[in-house]
This record gives sequence, structure tokens and C-alpha cells, in this order.
Amino acid sequence: MTTSPDPLVIALPKGRILKECMPLIRAAGIEPEAAFDDPDSRQLTFATNHPHIRIIRVRSFDVATFVAFGAAQLGVCGNDVLMEFEYPELYAPLDLGIGRCRLSVAELAQGADRGSLTHGDPSQWSHVRIATKYPEVTRQHFAARGVQAECVKLNGAMELAPTLGLCSRIVDLVSTGSTLKANGLVEVETIAEVSSRLIVNRAALKVRPAELNGWIDTFRTVVEKGAA
Amino acid sequence: MSDTVSKALLPAGLRDFLPPDAALEAHVVSGLMADFGAHGYERVKPPLIEFEENLLDGAGAATSKDTFRVMDPVSQRMMGLRADMTIQVARIATTRLAKAPRPLRLCYSGQVLRVKGTQLTPERQFTQAGLELIGSDSPAADAEVIALAAGALAALGVQGVSVDLNLPTLVPVLCDELELSPETQLRLRAALDQKDAAAVREMGDPVQDLFGELIRCSGEVDTVMERLGRLDLPQAAAQRRDRLKDVVALVRRLMPGLSLTVDAVENRGFEYHTGISFSIFAPGARGELARGGRYRAGTAKEKAVGCTVYVDTVMGVIAPPADRPRLLLPYGDRAQAAAWQSKGWITVAMLEDGIADPEAEARRQRCTHYVSNGQVRTVG
Repeated sequence: MTTSPDPLVIALPKGRILKECMPLIRAAGIEPEAAFDDPDSRQLTFATNHPHIRIIRVRSFDVATFVAFGAAQLGVCGNDVLMEFEYPELYAPLDLGIGRCRLSVAELAQGADRGSLTHGDPSQWSHVRIATKYPEVTRQHFAARGVQAECVKLNGAMELAPTLGLCSRIVDLVSTGSTLKANGLVEVETIAEVSSRLIVNRAALKVRPAELNGWIDTFRTVVEKGAA
Repeated sequence: MSDTVSKALLPAGLRDFLPPDAALEAHVVSGLMADFGAHGYERVKPPLIEFEENLLDGAGAATSKDTFRVMDPVSQRMMGLRADMTIQVARIATTRLAKAPRPLRLCYSGQVLRVKGTQLTPERQFTQAGLELIGSDSPAADAEVIALAAGALAALGVQGVSVDLNLPTLVPVLCDELELSPETQLRLRAALDQKDAAAVREMGDPVQDLFGELIRCSGEVDTVMERLGRLDLPQAAAQRRDRLKDVVALVRRLMPGLSLTVDAVENRGFEYHTGISFSIFAPGARGELARGGRYRAGTAKEKAVGCTVYVDTVMGVIAPPADRPRLLLPYGDRAQAAAWQSKGWITVAMLEDGIADPEAEARRQRCTHYVSNGQVRTVG
């Protein structure tokens, strides 16, 4: 069968990761249309130099959802998102080595319970209240040591929550730690090291193995060349 | 909120099937049952609820977390609502039909219920249809079930049916062979499930050496079988590979044009499988259309192979059968209905006499044609 190939949709995350991601996409021989780099463009989907390939730009959490539901076949998102959703319909065959940071627990440097008997000894806690964008990961992380985590779901500015008494701790992405410091927080524990992964829809990989394995190999070569 | 809204609300994951979906579902089920039946599979019908300890015994343990429980007020014992029918059919085969000659071929269809949907498939009630071949360990049995399921789906009009063959027991066998610690096995399993080659490489030898190659064994059948063939596998694993090779050859002979892929490290959804397993995919379908493989049936642990078709997923990728024309019959002509029906019409009888504009009435009743003065007229 050499008829025109089926459409291929690649979902990319908006924002910080996108900048790091585009050199890899271009090195793999995919060049989006000019509007992609135009900050004023309201477009959400972009044609590329391959007639059958389109790129969509969505929020990092939504990349995983688009690919899991098969609305996009390939995508780029952090393993923080993969851990939170645990979609069985996704494969994450390649660590792109970009968007490096860590998912950490942080608390007030001068907290109310600093110096108390149970402070800093999680084995004595039965319950913690935590503000986070990652309720599932947080719950599992604390449950593994017998602590029940009551999660307050926030979508941003987590660092404000402890200062204003909303909770005692937060679980969030940390890269340099400067935002934490500026808000009087200290990082007390790392839950996971985070980097961006190439993700693939499971059914798509089964139905179009040669094509999608081909792209995975192409990106692997690009990443290995970059690392060397 | 108005009364009609609140009365229409169903619990999460449950839905009403309206025309034409309900008819399409019946069409899929009857197509599958006819196909399986034509190959000697006889239909059985287990009950919706049975005692929990039977339902969740052996292979059924994997469905425990999905099963609704109710207390039986009569026996005062816990009962489970089935979350999977394979277990029930296996029970029938190894108890009531224990003395029936082997191999035993059974098929079934029915509703299953599960406690929680997933984000991808929020439905909690769905239709399963399947076949079980009990009491044969022959590779020909695996091939028969695979070809029959794939063939039946293609016959229903599913385009681009593709079968992914798996060996869920291969990785555990290799782990035992390498005497990996339980922690290492967990890490390895996670990396293999993600198809993350780099994570496997980081685990160093001897894991990297063997599994680094194995993780690449996924894709089009010829490429993968060739790669698998080159691997230097310990005996127990090599036996499984050779068996897969036999089954591939047999399926090829039964269905020469069928698209086949192999994934040597796939593990998802094969909780109770003990040998060659498979999933059936098609372009445009969300997730798999069917899943099956080798398992041990009942407490007797009889060798069996089977396949479950997810009817709701199939419905998403096939065109409904063409609507037959609907003919509005005049009041009192009900007696002629059979004659019209034998010519292929669906007939809708008028229940009131003296309707002035039969054409408007036909349109209102969604009829394509109506009878006036003994003549069939088309609704304009």
C-alpha cells in the first residue's frame, strides 16, 4: 500500500518545554508552517512540511489526554504528567532529555510546627494537607509510607498556599528552587526526577507499527546525537 | 433543575441504547454468534450474578477489584455481578460439562458490569461476546480462535483488522532465569510497559543485554520474528518463541491477508493469561476490539484458549446495516403486512382511519414510502 499515508497528529506542550522541544522536532525533519512561531497567531493546529503531519499545541497535561484518546498519535510531555494519569493507552518509549526538573515536596522554612516533636519525621505523621497540581502522585507517594494525604487541587501559584495557611506543604515542579525560596519555602523531599518523554498512542503503534517505530527511531537518533 | 432532567439522569458509566444503536449492537452480536456457531461453537448462557467465591476463583481473581458485590438474602452469602464472562464459561466447561468430550467449543454473549470505568472507557456496563476452546493445547487451537475472531470482525465490516500477538509469560520466565530481585523486576516491568529502551539500558547487565533487544521486538510480524529468532534465549523462553512461530504460520495459512504484529513484552490486560495472547485492533477504534489467549480453566486448570470481543468498541468502527425502506400502510391494511414484508419492506400500520394527508403522516412517522389506492408512493 503506497497510497497517501494516514494523517499523523503530533501534540506538543505550550510554554517552556516547547522552546526546548522544537530543535528536536526540526532535527527530525518536521518543519511547521510560519504561523507556528508567530506569538500573535491564535491558531491551534499547524500544517508541516509533511502533507499528512499536523502539530497541535496544548497544555502539557492535555498532551497526554489527546494522545491517550488517540486524537493525536505522538506527543511530548513530562513524566510528571504520565505519573499523574497512568494512562494504560500510552507508551513513553523515549526520554528526550529536555524540560529537566523534579517533583518535590516543599514546606515553610519557618513553619508553625518547626521544632515540634513530629516535625521532619514523616514516619510519625498520619495525615498531611498538601496543595498540588498532582493529587494522584501525592496521594500515592504518602500512602506508600502510611500517611494519608489530603490534597487541595490548585492549578498554579502553589507557593502561596502554605504562607497563607491553606495547607502546610506543597508538591510541585522545582527546577532551580528560586521560586520556593522567594516564598519562604524549602524543598524537603524529591518524589521524582522529571524530564520530557516522547509518547505514543498504543493502538496507533499496533496498527501503524512501521511508521510510528520509524518516528521513534528518528527521534532516538536525534536525541543521541544531541547528547553526544 | 426540571423534573425531566432529573428523571433522565443515569448513574455514571451507564447509558440507554436508542435506535439505531440498540439494533446495531444486536446486529454485531448476532453476526459474531452466527460465525462462531458455524464453526461448531455452541452457545451457553451463565447467570448475571453468582456466588462471589466461584466467580472470583482462580483466573477470576484478576477481576475482583472490578466486581460489584451484593448480599444474597436467601443464602446469606456474598454474590458478585460478573465483570467478565470467560470465567463463568470456564466454570461451566469444567463443572457441568466436565464429562463432555474435548476439545469443547463454547460461545456466549451478554452484559458485564464493573465497579469503575476508566477515563478512556467510562462505561461500567458493556456487552461481551466471545468464544472459548477448552481442552486442547495444540497451536492449531490458538490459531483457530485468532482467525475466527479476526475473521468474524472483518465479516462485520471492520476495516483493517490487525492482530497483535503477545507472550505475557516470556518476561516472567526470563526474569526467573536471570534470578532478578523483586525490586529489579518491578523496575524492569515498568520500563517495558512504557517501551522505554533507555531505562532498560540504564539497568545494566545482564538485564540490558537481553531485554534491550527484547524491547525492540515489537512491530510487523516478519521483522519481529526474525529478531526474536536471533536472540539467544534460555530453553523455557525459546520454547515459547517457537510456539509463537508455529501459531503465526498456522494463522497465516487460515487468513493469508491478515495484518499481524508481534509485541514480545506487552503485558497490559493479560492478567490471567498463561501463554500466547492477542489483541485485535483496527484503525479508528479507541483501544482494542477484542482480546484473548491461553489460560487455565476452572479449578481443574484445564488448558484453554479463548477470545472476548468488546461489542461496544466494534460498534464504533462499523457502518450500521443499510436501513430498509419503511412503508406506511393505510388503516385496515394490516393483513397485507406480511406480503409487503416478504418483499423487503418494513411496514408501519396506520392506527386511525380517515387521515387526510397520508404523505404528511408518512413523513411524520419517518416512513420513506406510503400506500395509496394500492400503489406504493415515495414520500417527497
